[in-house]
Amino acid sequence: MAITDTPRFVRADGPDKVTGSGRYVADLTLTGMLTAKLRYAGIAHARIIKIDVSAAKAIPGVFSVLTADDVPDLRYSPVVPDRHLFAKDTVRFEGEVIAAVAAINAEVAQQAADAVVFEYEELPIVADLEAALAPGAPLVHEDWESYDVTGDTPRDRNVATFSSITKGTKEGVDAALAAADIVVKQRYVADGSHAAPIEPRGVVAQWEGNKVTIWTSTQVPFDARNGVCETLQMPSNRVRIIVPHLGGGFGGKCGFHFEAHIAALAKASKRPVKLVFSREEEFLAPDRRRESMIIDLETGLNADGTIAARRGWVAVENGAYTADSAFFPQLAAMHVAGPYKIPFVHIDSSLVYTNHQPSGSVRAPTAPQGCWACETHTDELAKAVGMDSVAFRKLNAIDTGDEGVVGQVYGEIGLQQCLDTATEMAGYGQDLPDDEAIGVALGWWPSFPGASGAFVRLDADGAGQIVTGAQECGTGAVMTLRQLAADELGMDPEDFEIIYQDTGVAPYDTGATGSQTLLNNGRAVVAASEQIAEQLKDHAANMLEAAAGDIVLANGTAHVAGSPDKSVSIAELAEVAAGGQMLIGKGSPVPPEYPEIPGMNCVGDQGVAAWAAPQFSCHAVRVRLDRDTGVARVLAIACAHDSGTIINEIAAHGQVEGGVLMGIGQALTEGTVYGEDGRQQNPALLEYKLQTFADAPPISTAFIQIATAEAGPRGAKGLAEAPNVPTAAAISNALAKIVGQPIRQLPMTAERVWEATLSIADDSGETA
Amino acid sequence: MTTFSIAQSLDQALQALADGARPVAGGTDLVVGSRQGKAPLPDTVIAIDRLDELAGISLSDDQLRIGAMVTHAQLMVDPIIAEHFSAIADAAALVGSPSTRNVGTLGGNVMNGSPAMDTGAPLIVLGATAELQTTSGNRQVTMEELWVSPGKTSANADELCVALNMPARPANSGSAYVRLEYRRAMEIAVVGAAASVTLDDGGMVTDARVALTAVAATILAVDLGDALAGKPIDEASLAAVAKIASETATPISDLRATDRYRRHTVGVMARRAVEAAGRRAGGETIAIPVNRTLGIGASQ
Ligand SMILES: Cc1cc2nc3c(=O)[nH]c(=O)nc-3n(C[C@H](O)[C@H](O)[C@H](O)COP(=O)(O)OP(=O)(O)OC[C@H]3O[C@@H](n4cnc5c(N)ncnc54)[C@H](O)[C@@H]3O)c2cc1C
Repeated sequence: MAITDTPRFVRADGPDKVTGSGRYVADLTLTGMLTAKLRYAGIAHARIIKIDVSAAKAIPGVFSVLTADDVPDLRYSPVVPDRHLFAKDTVRFEGEVIAAVAAINAEVAQQAADAVVFEYEELPIVADLEAALAPGAPLVHEDWESYDVTGDTPRDRNVATFSSITKGTKEGVDAALAAADIVVKQRYVADGSHAAPIEPRGVVAQWEGNKVTIWTSTQVPFDARNGVCETLQMPSNRVRIIVPHLGGGFGGKCGFHFEAHIAALAKASKRPVKLVFSREEEFLAPDRRRESMIIDLETGLNADGTIAARRGWVAVENGAYTADSAFFPQLAAMHVAGPYKIPFVHIDSSLVYTNHQPSGSVRAPTAPQGCWACETHTDELAKAVGMDSVAFRKLNAIDTGDEGVVGQVYGEIGLQQCLDTATEMAGYGQDLPDDEAIGVALGWWPSFPGASGAFVRLDADGAGQIVTGAQECGTGAVMTLRQLAADELGMDPEDFEIIYQDTGVAPYDTGATGSQTLLNNGRAVVAASEQIAEQLKDHAANMLEAAAGDIVLANGTAHVAGSPDKSVSIAELAEVAAGGQMLIGKGSPVPPEYPEIPGMNCVGDQGVAAWAAPQFSCHAVRVRLDRDTGVARVLAIACAHDSGTIINEIAAHGQVEGGVLMGIGQALTEGTVYGEDGRQQNPALLEYKLQTFADAPPISTAFIQIATAEAGPRGAKGLAEAPNVPTAAAISNALAKIVGQPIRQLPMTAERVWEATLSIADDSGETA
Repeated sequence: MTTFSIAQSLDQALQALADGARPVAGGTDLVVGSRQGKAPLPDTVIAIDRLDELAGISLSDDQLRIGAMVTHAQLMVDPIIAEHFSAIADAAALVGSPSTRNVGTLGGNVMNGSPAMDTGAPLIVLGATAELQTTSGNRQVTMEELWVSPGKTSANADELCVALNMPARPANSGSAYVRLEYRRAMEIAVVGAAASVTLDDGGMVTDARVALTAVAATILAVDLGDALAGKPIDEASLAAVAKIASETATPISDLRATDRYRRHTVGVMARRAVEAAGRRAGGETIAIPVNRTLGIGASQ
């Protein structure tokens, strides 16, 4: 369905954002407010000899200068608590905070931050993943053994966590590979990249008595609150997190970042304090970067083109600290294994410490790189066995009822339909000029059911209010909650306003992470609305002298089924209710269950091998290559997605289009470049090349809609991350067809592509 | 503290320069550069954007004059420029984004003196001179004399660039500018090349010039020797142009590209610029900017 055919969707936050009336953290000003600046280490690895803040404190206009000595001495982070708010003893990446300053204005604050004396002794830099794993490599965390790790994950020296996924046994894999007719073995290397949200983050903190309110640009208000509670040792009811409009996140604003630093400054200064990042800081300081990866894959094929076995080895860059990355190795392993029927699989995957910026959940963590490796490899397999790459996928990709790579048997899924639909939309198989090709890739991504709550109320005039813990990061997911409430209550979406992203007023939600908002909070809003619907029906039944079970809510009225004339408006019912038992619904339904996989033998399970309501996709990309320069252009892309039932079609198209554009950037132009000194070389938008709207190709999208059990409202699955998964992979396969071999490095920059064309030319020169 | 004033007349602007002020045109280099920490804002800044003497494009019998304050947005659609001095329009159309083009000026581009500037190579191949004025006089300087090193010109601090002048085009002439870019907006030239070609009635080249962007300390004029003179524009002569351009370049390696890649691709750009200029000289219309038709990753 084309966008123009779909019903108009008015986003409650749209007019504010478009007209500029919306307020972001940077727009907030409180009486007496100070400006914060952070002092960063500026060096990748060093032992701290001295941090002296006396000169900084002496500068007139400086209210407070804090270091590790001024906050509770404890380590935090999920699963592997390995970091402090402020550097203590050792600095492990350039963006590590050694001190924080609050001063009368930005100039004085910066002057004070610069005046902090930092003496250190340099330590050897751990930068390369393989070198980090080598015996005797310098350690990023000398005391790694003493960390109080949750769960059972094998760890060793620079390996923060380790997971393996296995189908069959390791020995079975060896035997199957030995017996295979064809074996293809390759290495794929992906550079790290960035979330690069349009709004550099801001934090404002203000204390009243022993309570603090923090306005912050976070995607996960409750996580941010919990981080403050943990690190400053406060109960949850004294920390209130409010997020004004959020200028995007893409995962970069998941987790807990600088809220505690600013709260501590505000407390010490006895004034409200505000931090606003520069673009450069947004690149360097947050513990959220897309991880670099090395992926070795070895796959055995039978002569008929079926896959016999796969062995894999994956190193995922953790960076200096474990943000939320403990589960990345297992997720990466799933992606390099892929949505295929493979009888024997074994993949070892490690999360590796380096002296680089920490990695964290950026839109579908590990998946674009893992999928890129897996799907590039898949085309290499098809070529090796002499099959067309789409036919090869038809043969090997999982379908309803098939058993996947860890033994999970999938219910009704639409992967094969995605493949058929995307390739048809792209005109796969047509004759193309010799500098063009269509590349195809399959992708998958789990849904993440979880606890989530919302209140819905109708006030005396019949106007609706949704009070939700969910966070809108720009996807439109929170905005779609109006539609769900309206549908339950026979009202119009525009009858509802949304009170959101305030931990002080709304029940818990995980936040804008893991594509979970509509999946989980949608269910909560439906449940809350159902309660009100019951109340409305009871009132209407009384007034209309009918049975409650016969009352229908539609078009802003309650009427008796079969007699639309016997009706009363919802506003009237609301007025009656307002004088007695008010119309307040609360929703916090039990989340859908994660599947159990009998006999699953994965080491270091982090809960991301058995997938709830998995989403599937296929992207088919038409690419033109300028052979003389290696510059690739995406001419068109066709996307087919099984994300279950689509509730808000316009917002869903927006997610796919945004994900594709981000994927094109990751494929071709976006990558962090590190210098010998372990510092980022391109922490700015001139040299870190995002795609622009001028680069956007026509994107056509089809949704394979299967109402999915154990999923979100009406059988919806997640969607926000999935479109980011297979785009780079599809581009890779198109390029490989034009060049004659894959570019096994990500991003596939013009220069890397050009080098590949040269090496092909050299090779053919030799044989000629 | 920076003092900012707006010149109400050319004399006032020239006097301010004589007194040590720096001119600001669109500010897209000056202001953005200072915010990036390249160089602090000058103590006194004088805005020159309201001076009629610096506005407008005029073609006389023998000369084109482009006021220093003419913006990239004006250049890319001006019919005289697009038709007869196409390389400038090709370049202007590639600058930054619509907002950069709306405020960024030709004078600012020229006087900023970046070796990656886009209008530089076109101005060289079109034989342009910069008209520099002071309270006491006026002189014309060729582009090769003007640009000294990255960010440095031979103009004195009290000299205001009022216009860029260049000879009217002979019959059967065409020009074009092509640059290597990794994306289609907000880009900076990885390398680039401009060409100007004049043909005789038989399609043989009577005059050809090529200049290169971002492969040396300044925009680089290429000595084509006899690679094109008296010859048709064909595979052989284009290959010769590419080779000479690559050999003339003295590129550096940086985040955008290695020297090796720059050296190769500047030859590709030179060849494409000559090809496009030749086709335009032959009467063909190629839409502005050339990059979108036979440039980099060209496609609609
Ligand atoms: C986002 C962005 C993208 C960009 N993309 C490109 C691009 O693709 N290609 C490109 O070439 N450039 C690009 N630029 C650089 C810049 O926009 C251009 O160089 C522009 O033409 C500068 O003109 P201006 O009027 O803004 O100059 P200003 O910043 O006003 O001035 C630049 C310098 O020239 C001096 N100056 C200005 N006018 C005169 C005059 N008449 N006489 C004497 N001295 C003068 C000033 O004192 C200053 O030193 C980009 C800049 C930005 C911010």
